[in-house]
Amino acid sequence: MALTDKKSWLALRDHAVDTGNRHLSELLTDDDRFDHFTLRQDGLLFDYSKQRITRDTVELLCSLARECELNDWIDKLFNGAAINTSENRAALHTALRLPDGNQLSLNGTNIVQTVHETLLRMEQIVERIHAGQWRGFSGMPVDTIVNIGVGGSDLGPFMAVKALRDTHSVHAGRLEMYFVSTMDGSQLASRLDTLNPATTLFIISSKSFTTIDTLSNAHTALQWLRQASGADDELLYRHHFIGVSSASGKMTEWGIPTDNHLPLWDWVGGRYSMWSAIGLPIALETGMQNFRQLLAGAHAMDQHFRNTQFETNLPVLLALIGIWNINFLDIRTHAILPYDGRLSHLPPYLQQLEMESNGKSVTRDGAALDYHSCPILWGGIGPNAQHAFYQLLHQGTEPVMCDFVVSARRYHDSGNPQLQEQHTLTLANCLAQSRILALGDSVVDDSAKASVFKRYRGNQPSTTLLLDELTPYSFGQLIALYEHKVFVQSVIWDINPFDQWGVELGKQMATTLIEPLSQHRNEVGFDPSTNGLLGAILRQQETDS
Amino acid sequence: MKIAVWGSELTAWATAGALAQTGNDIYFVSHSQIKDPITLMGSSIRNEPGLRDLISDEFDRKRIRFAQIRTALGIQIHVLSMNASQFDDACDIVEKLAAKAEGPLLIINQSHFGVGATDRLQALMNRRAKQVAVYFAENISEGEALDRIRNPRSMIIGCDDEAARLTLEALFRPFSTRLENLFVMSPKEAEFTKLSIIGMLALRIGYINELAKLGEHLGVDIDVIRRGMGADPRIGRHHLSPGCGFGGNTFPQTLDSLAQLLSDRNEWTLMQTVVHENEKQKELPFRKLWRHYKADLHERKIAIWGASFKPGSASLDCAPSLRVIDAIAAQHAEVRIHDPEALENLRQRYHDNPFVKTISGKYDALKNADALVLLTEWPEYWSPDFELMQKQMRSPVIVDGRNVYNREQIESLGFTYYGIGR
Repeated sequence: MALTDKKSWLALRDHAVDTGNRHLSELLTDDDRFDHFTLRQDGLLFDYSKQRITRDTVELLCSLARECELNDWIDKLFNGAAINTSENRAALHTALRLPDGNQLSLNGTNIVQTVHETLLRMEQIVERIHAGQWRGFSGMPVDTIVNIGVGGSDLGPFMAVKALRDTHSVHAGRLEMYFVSTMDGSQLASRLDTLNPATTLFIISSKSFTTIDTLSNAHTALQWLRQASGADDELLYRHHFIGVSSASGKMTEWGIPTDNHLPLWDWVGGRYSMWSAIGLPIALETGMQNFRQLLAGAHAMDQHFRNTQFETNLPVLLALIGIWNINFLDIRTHAILPYDGRLSHLPPYLQQLEMESNGKSVTRDGAALDYHSCPILWGGIGPNAQHAFYQLLHQGTEPVMCDFVVSARRYHDSGNPQLQEQHTLTLANCLAQSRILALGDSVVDDSAKASVFKRYRGNQPSTTLLLDELTPYSFGQLIALYEHKVFVQSVIWDINPFDQWGVELGKQMATTLIEPLSQHRNEVGFDPSTNGLLGAILRQQETDS
Repeated sequence: MKIAVWGSELTAWATAGALAQTGNDIYFVSHSQIKDPITLMGSSIRNEPGLRDLISDEFDRKRIRFAQIRTALGIQIHVLSMNASQFDDACDIVEKLAAKAEGPLLIINQSHFGVGATDRLQALMNRRAKQVAVYFAENISEGEALDRIRNPRSMIIGCDDEAARLTLEALFRPFSTRLENLFVMSPKEAEFTKLSIIGMLALRIGYINELAKLGEHLGVDIDVIRRGMGADPRIGRHHLSPGCGFGGNTFPQTLDSLAQLLSDRNEWTLMQTVVHENEKQKELPFRKLWRHYKADLHERKIAIWGASFKPGSASLDCAPSLRVIDAIAAQHAEVRIHDPEALENLRQRYHDNPFVKTISGKYDALKNADALVLLTEWPEYWSPDFELMQKQMRSPVIVDGRNVYNREQIESLGFTYYGIGR
């Protein structure tokens, strides 16, 4: 049965007509609302009391999840069924955080064992580097790590390294860490100018090891090492490159010796891969113990997701509230607003996670959707965004749903009262913004007398994710929460969240454009607009030469 | 005079021994269950030339005895020879002493607590009741500690109390036969002078190591340069030998505190650079080996001659050898170490590292070795039997971290030779 014909869908539609226009300022008069609409899992509090819902809404949404057979899908996800149907693969990122000793058989191998063998290999590498015993061509210890990767091989580790910098390993104190992703070389070229080739180690992360962005940067790095060292390539590959990929053969072909290979598997999607060896930069930054804490936090969320009834299940409710906002209240943009500078890369990470997973318009069977799927995600560090796009949130014409992410405690053991005060200020701003978004200017007296330019209409729904404090464990919970949220939404929308065919054609088309650009041939075989741009570029380049 | 000595460093033992020998009654304050002084000293102090016999003789003569704190509280003169990290303990001690003292009290601080520490100790006492803290710049050098105490060329005393100065001079008069200079200044000035001397020496070593590196690039023998420089009377020869870094206990510790002091004020990073470069310099012999074997030491055997931080000492404190041993072992190569004095300390440190072997015969250490790395210039390494060496070694490669050998001679014997700055 089509989604929009399902009984609970129709009921939700009617419910939205009845209650959807109720203003949050009315809903928030209920003193018990916070108790009814908050849930906690370990150190993470999920507050959805500022969403435009009633207890009936939650009940109906949970019926929808049941009608969409969410439980079966969760079982399939965890058991390793090939739910990435267009590529005939499992999506077992949850297996990456199963504790040692568990069993999960895929094609006859216990992949939990494979995962933990890889974690041990990572641990050896991390310890060697932290001990100052990973040596470059000159014999100097490596003190700089450059991660070359793009998409899932960049966004996850980059975000996590930034987020967990406060908990960095004492041994990592001497390490400089950089992330290079852009194809145009602008990040790498300026970075290389300031780095010492004798002490720089490159991690080349690419699931397929064919990503042109990554390989072109890796080649530039190799060339830079050749020029600086005069050493032969074999030596440089052995001491200056670690490869992380599911394509071991391709890594060898490129030159990286097998001792420096870290495996990835086709049952892990790129955007779900920071828990694997792709997370090596995270382990280097925080130490292996903290990396294992990150996995433990995510595993705790996995267990909660798998074993908790929908009505009290954090990922399920986070997802269903999204469905309510998108499909029944017609809110199609979603702002991620961390009130914590360490989480500055959470919005771009979630952009990929959500938009690459659910940015689709056909069902698993190939039928066109007649409802909206993934909204547009955007965001930024809350306090900074207050000086940028909050104007639109408060007074623009677009309805926007927001996720506030903030820690209750920070700097408490720093002994620095100035920083503690700054945290208080940050918390005050976070609470102030979600309150005004919900209630508008009804929170102040006499607001009705203000001029229309100064009015705040409110009724913008938001969720607050309050961490007791930001630790590797709670960060693991947080990211796994969003992963499962995306999965739940995909089940409701009946789409495959684990493929990304929408990024393929562009790569192909780029390949056909390389030749006319590099050989300065003004082809006319493209459309008039592309032909025109091509000609303009070539004319400019001719004047250069 | 009755004197209480506080601390368990080499300086504490050597001062106790030397002062006992000149007739003082020394109360060595210790809470340890160990009642045998030689055991309590620990191996690196025990091997200090002459010290073991002196201490056991003086304990036999009862001129040194162990004392509990409560006994020490009744004594008027106290020598603090404590570790640089124990300033809080020193404050506790001085507070207790000041509270209990019925008559005058003299605290002689010779610990490296940093500039201003003696004044801070003074502030815990009652000067009007003749409770005085002074600073006495120790001049101890591991391997020749007793000689340095007994025959100093100069003495630096930080003291602004006349009576205390007279007591101090009386105490150290037996050691002043070769004394050329006696400086009395304020405690803060004396502490700063001590720090500055060590900083200056470190700068010289850092500078010559820097020149040695440049010399290698330019194809110039640093030995020639060094001799030429040293002949200039404004410069002199001392502390101008390039090598694989300096170690020991007092020197790096003091230098660290100087660098810290300077960087706290955000003013001067020269000293930090010296400290940092010295750490890098310690691994220089490893890097030479690394390049010789094209960055692959896996399963090779590397012999090391000399591990103590300097000849005449068994101490491994901050020794360059540790960095080299760790680096080689981390490449899963076997390290075969000989040292005349430090083997026991090495065994304690590396007993669970399967790649590190301590070997009591220097030629045995060379057996099947792919290289010899000389790190401490013990006299017995200066003129070895090169033929026997060649027979023992698998590959005749020598990395000479102290420039003790003559390159031409060694190369003519068929060795591949790497020195520092040559």
